Amino acid sequence: MKVKVCVVSAGLGLMAAALGVVQQAWATLGGSADSVATDRKALSAVQRATTVKPGYTVQEIISDATHVREYVSLEGIVFAIAWNGFMPPDLTKLLGSYAAEYQQALQNTPRQTGVRHQHVQGKRVIVEKWGHMRNLQGRAYVPVLVPSGVSLDDIK
Amino acid sequence: MTSNKTVMFPLFILMVLAGCGGSGGGSGSPGPPVVGPPVIGNNVLTITVNGSLCSDNPSYLNEPCVSVTICSPGSTNCQTIDDILLDTGSYGLRIFNQAVTVPLTQVTSGSGLLAECVQFGDGSSMWGPVQMANVILGNEPAVQIPIHVVDQGFGTPSTLCTSPNSRPDTSPFEANYNGILGVGPFAQDSGQYFSCSGAASGSPCTATTPNAKVINPVAALPVGGDNNGVIVQLPSVPADGAGSASGSLILGIGTQTNNTVPSGVTAYGVDQVAEFTTIFNSTQYASFIDTGSNGLFFPSPSATQLPSCPTPNTVWFCPPAANGFSASATNTGASGSPSGIVNFLIGNADNLFNTSNLVFGELGGKAVNIFDWGLPFFFGRSVFVGIDGTSSSLGTGPYWAY
Repeated sequence: MKVKVCVVSAGLGLMAAALGVVQQAWATLGGSADSVATDRKALSAVQRATTVKPGYTVQEIISDATHVREYVSLEGIVFAIAWNGFMPPDLTKLLGSYAAEYQQALQNTPRQTGVRHQHVQGKRVIVEKWGHMRNLQGRAYVPVLVPSGVSLDDIK
Repeated sequence: MTSNKTVMFPLFILMVLAGCGGSGGGSGSPGPPVVGPPVIGNNVLTITVNGSLCSDNPSYLNEPCVSVTICSPGSTNCQTIDDILLDTGSYGLRIFNQAVTVPLTQVTSGSGLLAECVQFGDGSSMWGPVQMANVILGNEPAVQIPIHVVDQGFGTPSTLCTSPNSRPDTSPFEANYNGILGVGPFAQDSGQYFSCSGAASGSPCTATTPNAKVINPVAALPVGGDNNGVIVQLPSVPADGAGSASGSLILGIGTQTNNTVPSGVTAYGVDQVAEFTTIFNSTQYASFIDTGSNGLFFPSPSATQLPSCPTPNTVWFCPPAANGFSASATNTGASGSPSGIVNFLIGNADNLFNTSNLVFGELGGKAVNIFDWGLPFFFGRSVFVGIDGTSSSLGTGPYWAY
């Protein structure tokens, strides 16, 4: 199963290159599974486990400050990202083409003082944060990219 | 009564401006303050939940405030700062530069100046220099420790402390407090440190390994003194809330006559990220106990029995049942034992907010995959926070006990 997914994603990568599709420098959320490797470099992290689930795989990359999990569909698209650790990852890198949309949505979301949870809904992307010092958590996902049958409860 | 009105007025204005759902829309006058039993000693800080110690800035629901004294290192040039958020979910003392009037000593890092970026669970962050201060808690001896002075104009803030990575706190008015006293079960914080070439805005800052980290001031108290943890004592709150509440933060566990451990208190060990587990609705969640969270936050077990409130209070639960939503959960120490049941009640937040009260014991809201025992858990309890590596009759920290 692992092998098959790797072949599929490599195939998509080659196809994208052949078609001259320009990849975002940090294309990740919404990008191809190839961008997991880009993220790993951007976060100075090492890639750990790949977990195969029904309908998707989870690729985990780990650095001193944070664990990042990228949720990849069978088509090789990163449809969600989750993280936890001492410090959250640099979202401007992980959100790729959704970063600007998130920034705008964040500015339009009033702060809820005292509530250790933040829910920001952009036009296409949803970014949530929660937790406390020593274990700051969050997730970002694009609802239309989430494969049918995958529960949001599994993205954590 | 007067102090409640001064709190309510700016809160109301802020809510209108920011459109944030929350409270204070009620027409009646707030209920009388709820006051816990007095505790006497050099190791006691008064806590007011809303009320007098929170009145320097706008306030939000269930906001626990204390007052802390800081002095120039080694001097008697001191100031006492109110409206400091009491937070068992973080570590270290952080104060906005706007609230600091005594000169502090900048910590250096190589040839530069040490600064820190920390983030919080709500996506907010604090950036600024690390400076030495004499910190006095209650009437304890002064401890000379690094504190975090929050100043977004210092050097060049880390991208992790700017939008969109986080929402930086730039002023006490915006944050609703002058600073944060982090007294969770560890000594060290978990922020990222930087060395800045200068204090002036725009001076470059690069990541560094610090030689001095911001530290939980309780852990810095003299060894053999009250450095092994704290007790948070808050009174019970009536079902429809109170205008304010007051109790005590007692330093040390079993170190003085006023902080002995009564029988019936159980200690629950926590892991290296200060979490234990809570089983609720047949699901196991990582969990923590946090004065800095203003409600009980957990995934709803039922969209019909425990739905979120309609706009604008969607972060809170609005159970339709007249008596609210009654539930129980089982907390278990991180090592797998012990276990104990906690019963709790979630009221209808829209109805609670109609009372004009600010302090509620039955306030809850949705979370993604954690169980956050926020401030309502503390009402009517003594909660013990045992610091990592220290011991008391309850065991060796890190632990929560109640």
